[in-house]
Amino acid sequence: MALTEAGSVRLNRKAGSGDLRFTLITWGVLLLLIGLWETLPRMGMVSAIILPPFSAVAAALWSLMMTDFFLGHFIVTLREILIGFVLGTAIGFAIGVALAIWPTVKRVAYPFVVGFQAIPKIVFAPLFIAWFGFGETSKVVMAVVIAFFPVLINTMVGLESVPADAMRLMRSIRATPMQSFLKVSLPHALPMIFAGVKAALTFAVIGAIVGEFVGASEGLGYLVDLYNNQLRIDRVFAVVVVLAAIGAGGYFLLEWLDKKLIFWRTEDNK
Amino acid sequence: MTLDMMSTGGAGTPSPAWTKPVIETRSLAKTFAISGSEFVALQGVDLAIERGEFISFVGPSGCGKSTLLNMVAGLMPATSGEALVNGVAVREPSREVGFMFQTPVLLPWRTVEQNVLMPGEVFGRKDNALRDKARAVIEAVGLGGFVNAYPRQLSGGMQQRVALARVLTYEPSVLLMDEPFGALDEFTREAMNLELMRITRQAGITVLFVTHNITEAVFMSDRVVVMTPRPGKVSGIVPVDLPRPREIETMQLPRFTEILFEVRHILGGSRGAH
Ligand SMILES: Nc1ncnc2c1ncn2[C@@H]1O[C@H](COP(=O)(O)OP(=O)(O)O)[C@@H](O)[C@H]1O
Ligand SMILES: [Mg+2]
Repeated sequence: MALTEAGSVRLNRKAGSGDLRFTLITWGVLLLLIGLWETLPRMGMVSAIILPPFSAVAAALWSLMMTDFFLGHFIVTLREILIGFVLGTAIGFAIGVALAIWPTVKRVAYPFVVGFQAIPKIVFAPLFIAWFGFGETSKVVMAVVIAFFPVLINTMVGLESVPADAMRLMRSIRATPMQSFLKVSLPHALPMIFAGVKAALTFAVIGAIVGEFVGASEGLGYLVDLYNNQLRIDRVFAVVVVLAAIGAGGYFLLEWLDKKLIFWRTEDNK
Repeated sequence: MTLDMMSTGGAGTPSPAWTKPVIETRSLAKTFAISGSEFVALQGVDLAIERGEFISFVGPSGCGKSTLLNMVAGLMPATSGEALVNGVAVREPSREVGFMFQTPVLLPWRTVEQNVLMPGEVFGRKDNALRDKARAVIEAVGLGGFVNAYPRQLSGGMQQRVALARVLTYEPSVLLMDEPFGALDEFTREAMNLELMRITRQAGITVLFVTHNITEAVFMSDRVVVMTPRPGKVSGIVPVDLPRPREIETMQLPRFTEILFEVRHILGGSRGAH
């Protein structure tokens, strides 16, 4: 009698053939965009100074990568992004946890957090240069200041959205607050935290580049500014492509990690 | 004394002098302060529940059923009066007392077995004996083939079976259940009713079962505690002198219908008074 329900096991079916079709469409759209990028400037419909054709940008990218200075600038910016991202994530996570588990801390600190977030933080960029100099630190600080917030909010909301019954269950078995946190709250919040971490990466890229725009002597943002002033728009685009690759590469890496780590993710907690 | 003797005894009969109640409430009451004014969620409740008894609490939403259960579980302090488990006043949750909710509260990142073993980790037990016990209980609730399945692969009824296995693995002497089958369809609910009775009687577990389903309450219980709202209170206790073991056919007995209407009468009577 107990096994009457055995037949009703729901299996997760993945849309198979539909996936392939959408992949094809995505690639088709990409090719179309590149085609337009190539032909519009060539046909004179857009000035090549405003938008160099795709092939020119590709050539500029190649020649840039052949130079002896490009790798140095690349590494400078990558470092700023990564340090800013890791610090921002750590700080956002720590504050998010503190706000979620200590109601008094939240009551006191939350208005400040929201108020801080209301400031367009790019205005701090010149200030950070004044405080921390033209080097790496000012860019890292800028990246941290923009990146920490999505992690903070998602950590806090994720931890607070643990079902009341789950907490009742943990209390009924006399779990310590630490046990409840590690066994229930944290894994429960993980999908949301990860969404915040992905946003943090994108924001860290923005923070590092903005910092370089405002004042720097090296880095990819510095190069963009430099080539822009020299009207070498093909190289500007080439650097933009590299920045996009950094952002997208990191994002897909996180996406992959997300799928591995949060294997139980279903439609309703996406 | 065997479980069978207890079951034939019926709940209406006074307990022998030498058994002390597993659960006792003495003027147990709860008042909530809502924006300055006092709201009586539960008026003084006096109950004595014998070892191995199956007691249901029925009543409409808001009559204080969950409040009562939470106080007996030590999850909520009483405003006045007290609850005693095995003669000891309840101050905090005890591992003697298992709790089951309307939602199964399974951790989606854990398999059925890992979910069942979770409280063991909290208790600091990870031995093989516990593992064997967990497997046996999972088997007993009819999920033998699903030890390594994840919750999302199971139906609602199967998930609730996992929750049952999780609480039974730790051999509580008292099981508190707050509308555990409220979200299940009628067929699944019936199957669960039969199995819950079988398993808890076999293990001699005392059950306090909250439901708003009168049929379910009468079908399983030794006594049905009828509760009514505004203010939440116990309006009557109906002994269920139906033979055991109970099967679906039990519901055909004229006596079953009589008791059902006795419960309805108490519920309806108080409603008319308002
Ligand atoms: N934490 C609380 N604060 C204020 N009122 C509450 C609280 N918990 C329950 N109540 C109220 O107490 C009454 C009884 O609630 P409950 O025990 O949950 O009823 P039941 O389980 O029978 O539906 C309800 O009117 C409910 O609104
Ligand atoms: Mg309730």
